[in-house]
Amino acid sequence: MILTNIMLAAAGTKIPGSIFGMPEQASTIAESIDWIYNFVNWICVFFFVLIVVVLVVFMFRYRRRAHIASTGGPTHNTPLEVIWTAIPTILVAPMFYFGFKGYMHIATPPENAYQIQVTGRQWSWQFDYPNGAKIFDGTLHVPVDRPVTLTMTSEDVIHAIFIPAFRVKQDVVPGKRTQLWFEATRVGVFDLFCAEFCGTSHSQMVGRVIVYEEEEFEQVIEDAANWIERVPDDKLHLAGVRLYNQCQQCHTIDGSPLIGPSFKETHDLFTSGGTQKRRLKDGSSVVVDEAYLLNSILNPLDQITVNSRTGKPYPPTMTAGLGKQLGDRRRLALARMIMQLDEVVTPDGRLRKVTEEDLDLVENPDAD
Amino acid sequence: MTTNEVTTPIESEPARETNYLNATTGIMSWLGTLDHKRIGVMYLVSVLMSFFVAGLFAMVIRIELMWPGETIIDQDTYNQMFTLHGAIMVFLVLIPSVPASLGNFVLPIMLGAKDVAFPRLNLFSYYLWVTGAVMAVAAILFGGVDTGWTFYVPYSTTGVDDRGAMDGVFFLTMAVFVLGFSSIFTGLNFIVTIHRLRPPGMTWFKMPLFLWAIYATGILQVMATPVIGITVLLLAVERTVGIGIFDPSLGGDPILFQHFFWFYSHPAVYIMILPPMGIISELISVHSHKHIFGYRFIAFSSVAIAIFSFLVWGHHMFVSSQSPLLNVVFSAITFSVAIPSAVKVFNWLATLYKGSISLNTPMLYALSFIFLFTIAGLTGLPLAVIATDIHLHDTYFVVAHFHYTMMGGALTGMLGGIHHWWPKITGRMYSEVWGRIACGLVFVGFNVTFFTQFVLGSLGMPRRYHDYSGPGWAQETTDLFHSLHFVSTMGSFIMALGFFLTAGYLIHSLFRGRRAPANPWGGRSLEWQCPSPPPVYNFAEPPHVGDCYDFSVLEWDEQEQGYHWRRDLAHDAGEA
Repeated sequence: MILTNIMLAAAGTKIPGSIFGMPEQASTIAESIDWIYNFVNWICVFFFVLIVVVLVVFMFRYRRRAHIASTGGPTHNTPLEVIWTAIPTILVAPMFYFGFKGYMHIATPPENAYQIQVTGRQWSWQFDYPNGAKIFDGTLHVPVDRPVTLTMTSEDVIHAIFIPAFRVKQDVVPGKRTQLWFEATRVGVFDLFCAEFCGTSHSQMVGRVIVYEEEEFEQVIEDAANWIERVPDDKLHLAGVRLYNQCQQCHTIDGSPLIGPSFKETHDLFTSGGTQKRRLKDGSSVVVDEAYLLNSILNPLDQITVNSRTGKPYPPTMTAGLGKQLGDRRRLALARMIMQLDEVVTPDGRLRKVTEEDLDLVENPDAD
Repeated sequence: MTTNEVTTPIESEPARETNYLNATTGIMSWLGTLDHKRIGVMYLVSVLMSFFVAGLFAMVIRIELMWPGETIIDQDTYNQMFTLHGAIMVFLVLIPSVPASLGNFVLPIMLGAKDVAFPRLNLFSYYLWVTGAVMAVAAILFGGVDTGWTFYVPYSTTGVDDRGAMDGVFFLTMAVFVLGFSSIFTGLNFIVTIHRLRPPGMTWFKMPLFLWAIYATGILQVMATPVIGITVLLLAVERTVGIGIFDPSLGGDPILFQHFFWFYSHPAVYIMILPPMGIISELISVHSHKHIFGYRFIAFSSVAIAIFSFLVWGHHMFVSSQSPLLNVVFSAITFSVAIPSAVKVFNWLATLYKGSISLNTPMLYALSFIFLFTIAGLTGLPLAVIATDIHLHDTYFVVAHFHYTMMGGALTGMLGGIHHWWPKITGRMYSEVWGRIACGLVFVGFNVTFFTQFVLGSLGMPRRYHDYSGPGWAQETTDLFHSLHFVSTMGSFIMALGFFLTAGYLIHSLFRGRRAPANPWGGRSLEWQCPSPPPVYNFAEPPHVGDCYDFSVLEWDEQEQGYHWRRDLAHDAGEA
């Protein structure tokens, strides 16, 4: 690691964390995991240096000088063999023990932990909070200094939650529930990855963990539970923009088909007012209107669309679970976003930024 | 007629002109041959061609990862690239690499036999390999495979309705099934050969250590491979007929698949690494003209590794949701593999002590094996410690670790073996100067490529990622991973240059190389007692079996540029 650190330092890049390249520490277990990692690695460094030094010294000291057999040297030495069999055996014992102790701690969630339900699906995360809040944008909001348990399952293939700064990882398996717990030690934003290969957009199944002070956390979760209800009907298409990041792995807004049809294409079919219809896998076609859009979000496999460029049907990747979990109002917000796409996309083809003011969500200062 | 000449001991040495390469001619004399040497050469050529293809895929992957965003290929193509890179490297290259190619060529000669026990089965194994390779190509033509070489369910069984069951995944799993039988038959053949065809005097503890390694490997091949056969067959049944075995939506258990898969694929790691370890034992001893140190410990460590390797598969599944008790037990047993591996390294070092070390190309590969395998073994420790594995699992740390094992270990060992036995196989010497330069390039390039990935993984970069930027990514994370990926790809260019150079001078030697003497390195095992290249049935007379690591009986012949028996001992040798 040191070698690479030097290389990178030369290239002007700073490596955070420990000498062996661990990321920043942000959970109660991180420090002890790093201690074990350093303990094991220093033993490794010792043996590596020992072996390489001996190797290099022998290479030069006993370099061939004439075409003769070696001048002797032992062919076996049983006490030596026993010693160098025993030393590694003794050394791996504490390694196992520390790993075991650390693991038992990781594998045992505290009973009073804050509970969050996690659903993985290709290729987004859904986080359900006890107060009914459902987070779809890949952001896991958690309080600082309080144990949190994630109870996780998958709707399609195996995924895995990996939060490097917390040193935790657990596969998310369809057909069963797995658990993972941590206690964040400081406020901040941290990476969250899917670590088990799950298909096309595996590398985009990434999110953030945001750690808050307790009161702020309560407020965020409270807002998350009901913000969509407070958005007035005529602003719902803007609310859809906030929900779009769970769609973007498969649906573009610029007209190019990805895993599913582009929202732009759907929007154009909608604005044609029924003069252009959408072709379906079974050969029929359908008018794109609000009812069609809502049904396609709720039951995506009902009417599978044909890719207008290749003529082939889109893969049946989108699970029904996503649309169902969104709830009526979020589905409506997304349908409105597609219908009014020209109002949410800027002239240079990007989504416009949507603020709290845009959604009429700013609290009246006198209300408190 | 040729056969007659060779087997009748009229002369002390058969004439150089009749050897296994020119005894018969024509393409059919190769395709239908039962000579273990020709089969070995056909394997070698086929395996190296597969290595070239899978290596190209690796370069595409590395170039894609040089910059954030889509560089040269899209997500789906990338997923197919790493799947095919892995599957070809594992099933078509590494599993058959040393045993089927070099093992086939060298094993009977080293043993003092005329061929393997079942020459027809040997040829059949080769054609099974070819069939498997053709099916792997079919997998690419039928839409490709993007499951990773591990075929984890339910990803490998989803989308069947859309793609049809007879797609790339089906063909690749069937390729694995067929290749498995190729491997089983090779292992079986070698086990029987070693048991039954040892000539008088060749006792178990007189066998060269390479044969011990091949023997231990044979046991693994015969005992572990049927499990992967059954597993991929069940997977194919699930895909085609829809019977629920692994897919939870059909009532199956996806974790069961992982248990089955790793029950084979962990021992498979040792099918790949044990034979190269055997090569290293030969190379270290021969090129330092020094008796191997701790023969029995090295021999038994091969067997110990083979046995332990069956008991540790669960360490691939620490975060899979298998029970915590299993995790702890598998972690404990995993450490036991570290010990025989360490014993081997210490014995190799002790062999160098007071040796007469020639730093020629095969020896440089052997020394670089020790360096790289030491890193491979030591970085296995934080992966065996459960608490740290949870962080490192499925990151580039694991990618770096198994590339150090499989490429730094297995492939470096094989390259050492190819350079060691090249004069024997082809009858030609290659350029030493270019050999050393290429070895240096591969060594440096390899370390730059993969050492960087230890840091990358430790920092949290997950494996099998097409990209490290995008809407969900933090900019600082993207920048950090970018700089490390860039360095890693630079290393892979250096390594690729080394490989092209190697291919160049080896091919050149076939046409322009100096004729090889019978014993250019001063090796003492039996293959160095027959001419280069060997005659069809290897030995005109029953070979003289002695201590295969006693180099004091050889002397250098300046004129011949090779070694032969000391004149003053020649008489004794004939008598013994």
